[in-house]
Amino acid sequence: MKLIYSQLQKLLPDLNVVPQKLRDDLTMIGHFTNYFEEIENEIVFDLDIKVNRGDCLGYFGIAKDLGVYYNIPLLVPQITLPKTLENLDIPIEIKSNDVKRVLALKLSNIKVADSPEWLKKVLSLHGINSINNIVDATNYIMLFYGIPSHAFDTAKTTPYLIWENNNNRFDKFTSLDGSILDLNKETLLISNQKDALSLSFIGGNNSGIDSNTQEIIVEMAIYNRSRVRKDSRSLKTVTEASIRLEKDLDTETIPMAFDQLINLIIDLGSGQITSNLFEKYLVKPEIPQIEFNAQKPSITSGINIPIDFVLDVLNRLGCKIEKTGELFLVTPPSIRPDITMEADLVEEVVRFFGYQNIPITEPLAFKDVTDITPKEIYLIDELKDKLVDLGYDEVLTWPLVSKPVDPKTVITTQNSINTESIYLRQSLIPSLQEQQDQYERLKLFSTQFFEIGKIFFQEGDKYIEKNSLGIYNSKAENLVSDLEKLGIKGKIVDKKYVEIILDDLPKPNSYAPQVKNFKAYELTSQIITLDANVSFSDEKDPVELIKHYSEIIGDKYLWQLIITDIYKDTKSNQFRYTFRASYFNIDDKTAKDIHLKSFGLKN
Amino acid sequence: MDQKLEQILNQYQEKIAQIVTDKDLETTRIELFGRNGLFNDLFTKMKDIEPQDRRSYGQNLNVIKNELERLMALQSQKVEKTVKTKVENQENIKALPKIGHLHPVTQTERQLNALFKKLGFSVYNSPEIVTDEFNFERLNVPKNHPARDMQDSIYIKEPEYLLRTQTSTIESYLLKAKSGDLPIRAAFPGSVYRNEKVNRSNHFVFHQYQAVVVDKGLTMKDLISTMDLMFKTLYGPEVVVRYRAKYYPEVEPGVGPDMQCFNCHGKGCPICKYAGWIEMGGSGMIHPKVLKSAGIDPNIWSGFAFGMGLDRWTMAQKNIKDIRTLMGGNLAYKPNEL
Ligand SMILES: [Zn+2]
Repeated sequence: MKLIYSQLQKLLPDLNVVPQKLRDDLTMIGHFTNYFEEIENEIVFDLDIKVNRGDCLGYFGIAKDLGVYYNIPLLVPQITLPKTLENLDIPIEIKSNDVKRVLALKLSNIKVADSPEWLKKVLSLHGINSINNIVDATNYIMLFYGIPSHAFDTAKTTPYLIWENNNNRFDKFTSLDGSILDLNKETLLISNQKDALSLSFIGGNNSGIDSNTQEIIVEMAIYNRSRVRKDSRSLKTVTEASIRLEKDLDTETIPMAFDQLINLIIDLGSGQITSNLFEKYLVKPEIPQIEFNAQKPSITSGINIPIDFVLDVLNRLGCKIEKTGELFLVTPPSIRPDITMEADLVEEVVRFFGYQNIPITEPLAFKDVTDITPKEIYLIDELKDKLVDLGYDEVLTWPLVSKPVDPKTVITTQNSINTESIYLRQSLIPSLQEQQDQYERLKLFSTQFFEIGKIFFQEGDKYIEKNSLGIYNSKAENLVSDLEKLGIKGKIVDKKYVEIILDDLPKPNSYAPQVKNFKAYELTSQIITLDANVSFSDEKDPVELIKHYSEIIGDKYLWQLIITDIYKDTKSNQFRYTFRASYFNIDDKTAKDIHLKSFGLKN
Repeated sequence: MDQKLEQILNQYQEKIAQIVTDKDLETTRIELFGRNGLFNDLFTKMKDIEPQDRRSYGQNLNVIKNELERLMALQSQKVEKTVKTKVENQENIKALPKIGHLHPVTQTERQLNALFKKLGFSVYNSPEIVTDEFNFERLNVPKNHPARDMQDSIYIKEPEYLLRTQTSTIESYLLKAKSGDLPIRAAFPGSVYRNEKVNRSNHFVFHQYQAVVVDKGLTMKDLISTMDLMFKTLYGPEVVVRYRAKYYPEVEPGVGPDMQCFNCHGKGCPICKYAGWIEMGGSGMIHPKVLKSAGIDPNIWSGFAFGMGLDRWTMAQKNIKDIRTLMGGNLAYKPNEL
């Protein structure tokens, strides 16, 4: 979410820390702030708001947190709306159980126009398009208080506004932006009996405000959040409103936010209130009373947090605190539905005391605790070490594959969006074959590698997982002798592959695996292999020669250097060595240049 | 042994080892064992030696002669082999030995396992196909919780069976299995699954590492100090990590470790998305509801858990730009390099 410093200061007039510090402090108290930037003379922050803090999807919630943290007052503007010109009740019916609270008012003599520049700027800094003064006012109040609202053109909404679940009355809904959505049986919507005018989180194109609009009904509502979430998910439509309404929002904040909204609309669109306030409050928040031990923040954090501070923070958060014997009875404010138990209060206190005040000292000391390591982990570690000692490389392949080995026992994923890989692998061998194909595409030959991983089967309604070892060796005869060295047996497939189920093997009681730093590379192109003949008047140690030329070529591009041929020319009495050098992550021409230069050859 | 004899032995041991041609071999043979060679000369000079030392001198001379003859025979085999006029096939006749390698993820896992083992931790594991109960409910994510997102989990059989989405799921199994055997110290690497489209920077399967402690009187200070050891082990003692408030349903208070950006040192750059810090994972004191659902009394026992992703770290360490490289991809090891 974006946060404009000057807008925040409307709620916190005493806030004047430098942007850098505000960014860091927001992050420290739990609102990770990626960065801030200066745009159009405004300082704009970019925050991640966590799912449990629906209240912080508006300036108001963030300002409350910062007010507590900096111990500065939160300014809540007081507003008295003008009286209604007509004693008229809006015909609204609430038929759905998913509505928690609704407020609505009718406004007449509206002048729909462009928004003033300041409003356009705020919306644009939040990535919201300016539509007109009325729609923009609802969006601005949503940004400010975190509660969405909606304005209907009464000319299009007569005779009623009905909040109801679809119950198959409407098939389709065309949203403001023109997308056509297929409605479900339960979709929560607002209709005028004939047509669906709006969903809980997106308005319809048949009731929107346009330049001819003169009279509007403005509503602000909070719903059962799971209903909104399900509707938004099933219709694959996410809006600024759905992001907020699917969180726990505070129904008690509605009257204040709604008054601000009406006030702003009158300000911008010069309308008059022409109905009584409609209000339906169906689900009130259940506010817990929490038994609280004021020592608990110190006990949990491991540092001393004075009780005065503890109580002061809770007080500033808006909690009601009563003392009962040794403990306190704490009633959190309705805007914080995430606070339901003592641990939540502890977190609040530590958060505002500052995580940075918890020192980094000694890690846990050794303690002799029962070893609960499953024995198969020891077996896996031991086998990996033995295979590495025999010159094998470890690879990892995808546990989800495109083809089943045995369709009768394969486990299929239901909703994998990678539609090519929907089966849980039943064998490692097809995956190792793919890895080998990949290596061959990269012109990497003479490889030998292994994988230890899970394979999966279904037996009736049971899901079975087994640990499996798969090995590949480009030299079939070496595979056989290596299996002998390992003392394990398995069925060899295609001469070069073998798979062994580890669950059936005996397991060691303990094993300490080697910890070593191995190098590994991302190959970004094919390996390039070039030969070079070099002659010497005397015979050389081939290993020394390989070391010598490897050093000349350098690590950066040399993949491997071998000698494929040594030839003695009896006439000239010279020894000719044929080198085969492979280069990696390099183009043909550069490889050739390096090659010729390194072996002192002419083009 | 006579000092002079010892000198001769050393000198010729070296010389013989350096012989590469038949010609040199023959020259040396004559030099040592020929009619006017060194040993004939030495045997002739035996008469000049004091009678009481003569016997042992002769014995030593024979020992050295035999040894040098043996070395010559050995070297003559080598010389013959390397000067064969042509090798029969294109097999690499001379190369450094093929070296085996562990996958970089395994390597990091082992490094961390070894670290925690020193503190008395076991290594643990549990199934990858899990139930909703272990992946969500027991971790304080009841049905309809905002932290749930159907799009994120890969289901085997909705809504009950899915592929584990996090290593905290292993923690659920661990706490349930060992609730009668407290305290607990366990660490676990694991593959976890998310329903993400595979591309350069995302994968449906990745690797996490988590450590869990249940004991009496654990504090956030213990948590942060122990987690800090993990980061210092991986990133070196100079690494700067800050610990801040962060929300995860299974912990409270939640703690988020951020590492100061290695590239800009906190100033802000594209790598850290201009935050100056890079989010490293998640941690916190185990939520009382999580302990309770495992049958552990949160009034007596406390716990902490911390975890981090291994893939990004591995990629940074090995200079890998594409996450697909790590699995079934273009990851390869130089055959002769550790
Ligand atoms: Zn940076």
